Amino acid sequence: MPSWQDFQPFIVSGLALGGVYALSGVGLVVLYRATGVVYLAFGAVGAMGGLIAWSLINAHVPDWIGWLVCVAFGAAVTVGYGMVLGPALAKRDPLVKAVATLGLTLVLFGLMDLLWTSSGGESRAITLPTDNHGFMIGQVQANWTQVIGLGAGIAITVATAAFLRYTKLGTAMRAMANDREITATLGVPVRRVEAAAWLGCGVLAGVAGLLLADLVALDATTLTFLVISSLAAALIARLRSIVLTFVAAIAIGLIHDLLTPIQALTNYRDMTPFVLAAVALLVLSRRSVISLSREDA
Amino acid sequence: MLDTAGVTASARQRRPLRRPGARMLVRTAVVAAGVLFVLLALPQLLSLYYIDAMTQVAVYAMVALGLGVLVGRVGLVSLGQVAVLAFGAWVAARLLFATSLPYPVVLLAAGVITMAAGTLIGLPALRLRGLYLALITLMLAGAITVVLATTNFPNGGHGFLGYNGSSVHIPPIRRPSIAASDPAYFRYSVVVAALMFLLVLAHIRTRPGRAWAAIRQSESAALAAGINITLYKLWAFALASFITGVAGGVLAGAAGYLYSIDFPTYYSITLLAVVLMGGAYSLWGAIVAALLYQLLPPLLNNWGVSADWLTILFGIGVLQVLTTAPAGLADQVPKDLARLGRLLLGLVRRLPASGRAAR
Repeated sequence: MPSWQDFQPFIVSGLALGGVYALSGVGLVVLYRATGVVYLAFGAVGAMGGLIAWSLINAHVPDWIGWLVCVAFGAAVTVGYGMVLGPALAKRDPLVKAVATLGLTLVLFGLMDLLWTSSGGESRAITLPTDNHGFMIGQVQANWTQVIGLGAGIAITVATAAFLRYTKLGTAMRAMANDREITATLGVPVRRVEAAAWLGCGVLAGVAGLLLADLVALDATTLTFLVISSLAAALIARLRSIVLTFVAAIAIGLIHDLLTPIQALTNYRDMTPFVLAAVALLVLSRRSVISLSREDA
Repeated sequence: MLDTAGVTASARQRRPLRRPGARMLVRTAVVAAGVLFVLLALPQLLSLYYIDAMTQVAVYAMVALGLGVLVGRVGLVSLGQVAVLAFGAWVAARLLFATSLPYPVVLLAAGVITMAAGTLIGLPALRLRGLYLALITLMLAGAITVVLATTNFPNGGHGFLGYNGSSVHIPPIRRPSIAASDPAYFRYSVVVAALMFLLVLAHIRTRPGRAWAAIRQSESAALAAGINITLYKLWAFALASFITGVAGGVLAGAAGYLYSIDFPTYYSITLLAVVLMGGAYSLWGAIVAALLYQLLPPLLNNWGVSADWLTILFGIGVLQVLTTAPAGLADQVPKDLARLGRLLLGLVRRLPASGRAAR
């Protein structure tokens, strides 16, 4: 068993990773509540944004433009998908909507492999200026990117919770989560509210892609499937509570990284989100419920 | 519940049941002729490159069949079937190295062990419905991939895992003695696949098939009709796992060497895409799906086109199927051809008619 000393650096990196998972998970939950779509293309959108930013920065475009383009790409693709395919699938089962986003994932995934081929063993990386500036917490080195990761997670969680609670648009989103038809009848511009949710989710996808490209790796497959980790957090919260999503995401990030120094488990640490989500889901749905409504899974 | 069919499915269900008659006989004859052609003529016509590809098609036709049972018959979506396939292949490879059991026994054992594992996982997972079930299978697939990356596939080593990393001369996974060559093994896999299709057909035509259809339409109505929902859902899970396990066994012999990187998580997603494109409601759909999935890549490779275009195509295909063509290619193409035929027939009829009118 490794000593406490060995674990310390992994607490810092785990919190940073958990923060980014939280940010992604919150994005997924908000979109699901407003539109009923589990956006499985979240990771792929972020990954492609990251790769575009990498190409731009390599072509000597100022770094900040690259970052902006990354976020803008995430927002544009997500809003575009939501506006084009959202209405066509609006009345379908949540499962159909989720599977449709897998279609988008495959398109983006194929494009990424085509344009930024990984067969040559080329390694790409995005480095943020905050990587090189750090400080010591006790004996552990922490850099500002990690602080941004955790900070962004906390900030987005708090801001989103407040937004849903106190603003008119947030109230409309919560209303739509309950019943789309009745909300529309009450005069809420349903399509516009949905567009706002897609936009928010897309921006978060871009930000998460950029941060994960720095913290983890800039690789299409890795980033595309990191969405599963954020999704695990969202699932533990049953796609409802934003605060629970945050807590679950931090737990997943922490446990994942804390397993690294343990020899026997280090190879299995990538299973953390899957196992946690599977156990949580199975425990939460011990009771089998038959319901007539299709919405309520 | 994945109602890709929406209105169409209920319309199809309402079609009166036909008595098996002359039509049925013709259909059976056509299918039998097709199978004979594939068994006898195809290996003569194709190069080894395409025979290997067609063996993969046979394997994935079984996997697609299993997923088709879940998606098309019961309305359960699994995003982890390729992980199940990898599990079946692992079990088969381990048995083939450890024992000298005849190949069919190993295939059966791989199927049964995979079925047991699938049922064990399915029992709690079936309490979840629709979306959550699909997402949890994705999670489990991810977990299996991680475990396989560490344990690796057996390659003749000792111990439970049978992995011998340091070995230089790794023996390939053995094949049945009657099917040692590639063409012979291709025939062998087609026969196994045909048996699996018959197994599913036997299910669909009898009580489980009717129960599944009822569950897919409405769980509460099925419950009210006295159908044991959990039993039949679990049955579908078990059947799909069994078929996929057998397919894994066939794959082990076909490949000779198995590597965990050959079963990435996203293959399960692509598989669902091709099954939806091929058509989850028809058994033909499974064959179409397997052809899309395993024959197109070597074809494109031959023509020098990147396989990434296929991934993009499959992505667009899923979106198209879900928005406009719910029953997939197996349903859409004959319908479109019939429409085209009617159109042409109409044109031909109109030509002499307009000629007469002009006179």
